[in-house]
Amino acid sequence: MNILDKFLLMLILLPSRFYETMGVDTKQLKAILVAKLTIGNRTPSGFRGFKSAKAAKPSKFQSVGKAIAAIFMGFLFVFALFIGVDYVTKLTFYFSFYIFFLASMLVADFTTVLFDVRDNAIILPKPVNDRTFVMARLLHIILFVAKVVIPLTLISNIWIAYVTGFWGLLVFIALIVLATLFTIFLINAVYILVLKITTPQRFKNIISYFQIVFAITIYGAYQLIPRLVDTSFVTQLSLADSYWAMLAPPYWFGGAWEYLHLLNGNIKFLFCLLLAVTIPFISIYVVIKFFAPSFNQKLAMIGNTAEDVPVLKTHKSAKANKKTYSEWLSRLLVKPGAERMAFLHTWKMTARSRDFKMVIYPSLGYLLVYAVLIFMRKGNSANESFFPDPNSFIYIFIVYICNFVLITVLSQLKVSDQYKAAWIYYAAPIEKPGSIILGAVKSILAKFYLPVAFVLTGSAYLFLGTSALPNFILGICNQLLIILIITYISFHSLPFSVPAAQKGKGSNFIKSLFSMLIPITIALLHYAIRTYWPIVLLLTLLSGIAIWMMLDSIKNKEWSSIK
Amino acid sequence: MEPIISLKNVHKNYGEKQVLTGIDLTIYPGQVIGYIGPNGAGKSTTVKILCGLISDFEGEVMVNGMDIRTNALAIKQKIGYIPELAELYDVLTPIEFLTFMADLYGIDLNIAQERMTKMLSAFGLENSMYQRMDTFSKGMRQKVLIISGLLHNPDIIILDEPLSGLDANSVIIVKELISKLAKEGKTIFYSSHMMDVVEKVSDRIVLINNGKVIADGSFEELKQQLGDQSLEKIFSQLTHTEGSGNESDRMMDAFN
Repeated sequence: MNILDKFLLMLILLPSRFYETMGVDTKQLKAILVAKLTIGNRTPSGFRGFKSAKAAKPSKFQSVGKAIAAIFMGFLFVFALFIGVDYVTKLTFYFSFYIFFLASMLVADFTTVLFDVRDNAIILPKPVNDRTFVMARLLHIILFVAKVVIPLTLISNIWIAYVTGFWGLLVFIALIVLATLFTIFLINAVYILVLKITTPQRFKNIISYFQIVFAITIYGAYQLIPRLVDTSFVTQLSLADSYWAMLAPPYWFGGAWEYLHLLNGNIKFLFCLLLAVTIPFISIYVVIKFFAPSFNQKLAMIGNTAEDVPVLKTHKSAKANKKTYSEWLSRLLVKPGAERMAFLHTWKMTARSRDFKMVIYPSLGYLLVYAVLIFMRKGNSANESFFPDPNSFIYIFIVYICNFVLITVLSQLKVSDQYKAAWIYYAAPIEKPGSIILGAVKSILAKFYLPVAFVLTGSAYLFLGTSALPNFILGICNQLLIILIITYISFHSLPFSVPAAQKGKGSNFIKSLFSMLIPITIALLHYAIRTYWPIVLLLTLLSGIAIWMMLDSIKNKEWSSIK
Repeated sequence: MEPIISLKNVHKNYGEKQVLTGIDLTIYPGQVIGYIGPNGAGKSTTVKILCGLISDFEGEVMVNGMDIRTNALAIKQKIGYIPELAELYDVLTPIEFLTFMADLYGIDLNIAQERMTKMLSAFGLENSMYQRMDTFSKGMRQKVLIISGLLHNPDIIILDEPLSGLDANSVIIVKELISKLAKEGKTIFYSSHMMDVVEKVSDRIVLINNGKVIADGSFEELKQQLGDQSLEKIFSQLTHTEGSGNESDRMMDAFN
């Protein structure tokens, strides 16, 4: 427990007398909250980025670190206050960002931190009455949210106070509280909806997709919003006279502030004020009254899989004989035996492992953000055709940027939660582990790069004509070569054989920096020679030969090179 | 003598699935009950009902003369529950976790502090007292759980597969501990499917299958009724639907 936690805990336990009259055992209440806060401080959260979530050793100052990160995030919100001409518009955008961000962040952490299924086995068998338990949960939620919201809104509070004065700040803070309540309701609504349409087991998967979308959006927002603020369209925007905007909850909060701060007698803003005050309370009441009971039970079931009897799926025997796409590919691309086994195994693992997806999907998303950025920049510079000439840097850039995703995939290929299952490689009579590594690498290339390569060359041919093809093909060959070289140099483990915690250790930063430098250097060299056709063709040929040699070298990796 | 635990016609179903189909059981103070049955027989469900974790069952459950539905809190105070699978907050240290447990039971902190230090040392955890449990082995976690169940000196101790992951020496300690606790007059409800341990520690064996009690008595009594054979044999004789011994033959057949 750090000072921040101690202070908040003291604050929230001030009305202990009042809690006691409700039948709450305050000693137990405090014990539960202390334990929960300690656990919260030591549990890595989705907020700190997904790659480090497992690897990071939770430090003593994690709470402080989270607060600083939240202040930093909150800084982004201040940009919203530059959108539009009037405060209704500015604050509508502000509250949109705020509600979206808070909701995504809570979705990422809510279940794991607040609805810890271990509570069922640890706290419930103890003589703790229901009121104490429910109160502890409620206060924990308040503490948890407060620890996010206070730093998150810090900078905007200062800004609002500076620009509009004390009264404006007071109204603003009150509205933040209301918007927070509303957000909690939103999350509950989403949870209930998700639990209604799916099983608790799949709930966790859906939550992780939320987290991925969240990470990508935050990244995108950081890239895009500051750029947007400059444009005149954005600064001239006004929602003050729009009635349609009433449909969007953030507008209520913006209108309410306008009404209270400027005491603007507009009937529409009065209506906003009414909505902003009543809707959060009504929705929270609805959640507690109607949804919460069954909701908690269902959430408890998430961890209670032991009770469930596995559902047997009856496979038709015909289906078992049918060749899947991956099997068909494996016939084309790999040799039977260990290589083929590794190919198919990797194919399945990358499709089914949640941890794998959690790392890969965000990086795919970042790529998407880059793509949007590139085309935005294009859109800005007028008088150019949509497709610049085939020798533009942008195409080389597009071809090579895929490499970053492949490198991420490659680094994740070693890692698995079930790393212990890799004993099978050691127990089986495998002469050279190189064949396993080769099969696995071929698998990710076939799965993640083959479609991209087809789409790239296909669209290059369609939109740019045959003259663009040689450069694209050289680019793609170089991609393969780079990945194979990195595999040969840095892949010293068998696939899925390293615990996630170990991945981030040692000189990895230097290594990954180095891995990133290779494609950048090659891309620049490629750019320099792109118009000299004979050289492009010659290099393609050389690249092809090098690929073939690398394949052979990887295949011949000995057991001695495996750590 | 007044029974300390009694279950009358207890039914419980999860949706369509019947888990308990009428359990009747009377347990007297100081008894060590070995509660055995195949996977899915309803062992864990019974344990959860006794601990007050499940309340939507049919039938009557009395503990220490109190109805578990109306007096759950008072009953929980008397019970020490040691769950299966190391369910604990593993980012806490053993001392933090046990202090938390002591607070929930309302034990005086000085007493609790002394007790947990002694107990942890007895289990050989004195050097890991201030280390987070996320680095602990399964056996070490299980030891902390056992201590957390005994800390408030309960009259009834309910153990659900308590020996999973423990090394041989710790198993011996726990077995001796169980008989010493029983001598003190404590009632022990030991749910497991490890026959050899149940055979040794319990003075009464209750065998359930498909949510019903199908055998009940001391090991000697069971042997008299069902022929002089090991508990394992008795178990497979009573719970097997098909003739036993067949499976291994069929396994061997696969080679041919």
